[in-house]
Amino acid sequence: MKLYVKATSSYRSDKENIDIKKELKQRYKIDVRRKESFIYAGLLGALRLKEQHSINKDDELYLTSGFGNIDILAKANDYILEKHETIRLFDFINMLGNTTNFYIAKALDIQGKSIFAISDNFTYFHVLTTIYASLLKNKNKVIFGAIDLALGNPEALKRIAGIDEETEVIDSIMYQYLSLDTSDALCELEIDSKFYTQDEIVSIVEKETREIIYSKRCDKSSQDKTPYFETHASFVVNEMIEKSQDCLYIECYKDRYKVLKITTLR
Amino acid sequence: MANILNTCIRSSSGDLKSSIENIKQSTFNISTKTVAAIEGKVEVPYYTFPKNIKDTQDGIYAALKDVVGELLENLSKEDKTQTAIIIGTSIVDWHIINAVETSNYPYKRQPFYSKKRSIDSYAKDLSDAFNLNGFTLTINTACTSSVNAILEASNLIDTGIYKYVVVIGLEIFSDMMSSGFYAMQLLNSDTIKPFDKEREGTILGEAISAILLGDDDKSPWKIKGGHSNCNALSITAASEDGTEFVEMMHKALELSNTSATQITAIKTHATGTYANDISEINAIKKVFDNSITFTALKPYVGHTIGACGALEIALFMACIDDGFLPKTLNHSKAILKDYVPLLEHLNCTSGTFMFNFFGFGGNNTSLILQREDR
Repeated sequence: MKLYVKATSSYRSDKENIDIKKELKQRYKIDVRRKESFIYAGLLGALRLKEQHSINKDDELYLTSGFGNIDILAKANDYILEKHETIRLFDFINMLGNTTNFYIAKALDIQGKSIFAISDNFTYFHVLTTIYASLLKNKNKVIFGAIDLALGNPEALKRIAGIDEETEVIDSIMYQYLSLDTSDALCELEIDSKFYTQDEIVSIVEKETREIIYSKRCDKSSQDKTPYFETHASFVVNEMIEKSQDCLYIECYKDRYKVLKITTLR
Repeated sequence: MANILNTCIRSSSGDLKSSIENIKQSTFNISTKTVAAIEGKVEVPYYTFPKNIKDTQDGIYAALKDVVGELLENLSKEDKTQTAIIIGTSIVDWHIINAVETSNYPYKRQPFYSKKRSIDSYAKDLSDAFNLNGFTLTINTACTSSVNAILEASNLIDTGIYKYVVVIGLEIFSDMMSSGFYAMQLLNSDTIKPFDKEREGTILGEAISAILLGDDDKSPWKIKGGHSNCNALSITAASEDGTEFVEMMHKALELSNTSATQITAIKTHATGTYANDISEINAIKKVFDNSITFTALKPYVGHTIGACGALEIALFMACIDDGFLPKTLNHSKAILKDYVPLLEHLNCTSGTFMFNFFGFGGNNTSLILQREDR
């Protein structure tokens, strides 16, 4: 399965020091009322992507995340289970998976299919597979956003992510504009439906000439001090495009592995 | 092309057989739940699981395992290795709530322990338990979650990526979701009255519904096509004239190579809320003439939010397999006098059927299925 990246947008809290809400209000003239951090994040990435590439009304929107919106769950939990009050109306709405999709669709003026989906460990890979099937069938283009927010509730995130307490966690917002057509593409992404065993991965790695990048979950070496965010694969795609560099990205779940071949085209 | 090969459910009425028996007899099982409200704790009607399904993490997983086991009983070992799982739900996992609580409240503090877990972990566990392919996905688009899962599953099959996909609609009682629906004044009724002038709101429900899709041609149920869009007047409602729903139905018909006159009946979303039902009936009027047959299933099983797609499709299919189109309960005063839902069960064994679902966040999805003549 080959998909082509036409444009990207990136944000990482450890690389860029901005107030996202303020940026949306001042630069993009977005009404920030009744929204919260996860929606702001989604909007920032999407609006930055729109600056890079024209967007069509029928474009489809897929969002993924490691764990979705933990901040709003913490807020709702506080109202209901701790203070025994009712949930605030807009907090309830903002808690729903596809609320962020709605605000992004409105901001980009798109009306195509809009999906919020996750998959443990393989969230980038499996949503990408689903996007490929949709592109093949529906012949549209896809805006693919990967959003991880950790800084609002870092300890809660660390408890559900299967990582050490000392691991640094960051916020990350990565977008790609995807198509099956190669014209003007920045990069080719190749995945397959197969899960590899560890032995098969060893054999692939031995033969591979390009750089190999492992997800933090696969790379257990003590030297690995890079920060954690679940949609790391999405960042690697954008980073490789920026550096005009090819790589093989490897993700794992228990004893199953997946491979993403990233080939830059410019 | 993807076909629906098998279905298996657990609703407030029990399994598929007992649920269909209840529909035939025009009865339903309703209980109550306590919900957080401004005025304190309030009791609201709720279509809860029968007592044999425990409202715990282990209880729900056991029920999921039963349902998926039953669904896959005729699939070979080889076929299972080519089977993916997609869950459609609006709920979040207990594990995340526990992590939030132990992190934020000193009196609930526990020593640090980290385990990867999300709502998708149910799909991963099921995939491992039944030796399936390992591909899992969990879609959360509110009330359209599981019907969107069906559309995504049919894409994966139609493009040859997977041979089979299990779609699971899952919804269990949640304090947060119920409190949210109550805060929106949507739970003010003790009956769901679809398309009725005196409708006052909806009643939520619990459900697990699993649907097996595959490229196997033996099934009489074919997926002709469908369409999902993201378009609404506001985050919680479409335009009263139903413009967004009209567009969705037209596109679904076009993508299925079906004309409006070829539709035998519509399974409507029909939550019994003011906003949904008026937009939906106005949209139906714009796409179909008044001879169209349409019905609603939520009065039998409640509004099961993320599960309603998979649940209501499974129930509707079982009714047709049993030889009848199910009538709409609790309807007496039509919003539009020429557009009255089906008020008596009607003999029907085949046809082309439209299934409509609408969700908060502007998600509108229409699926068209065909049941071949026997």
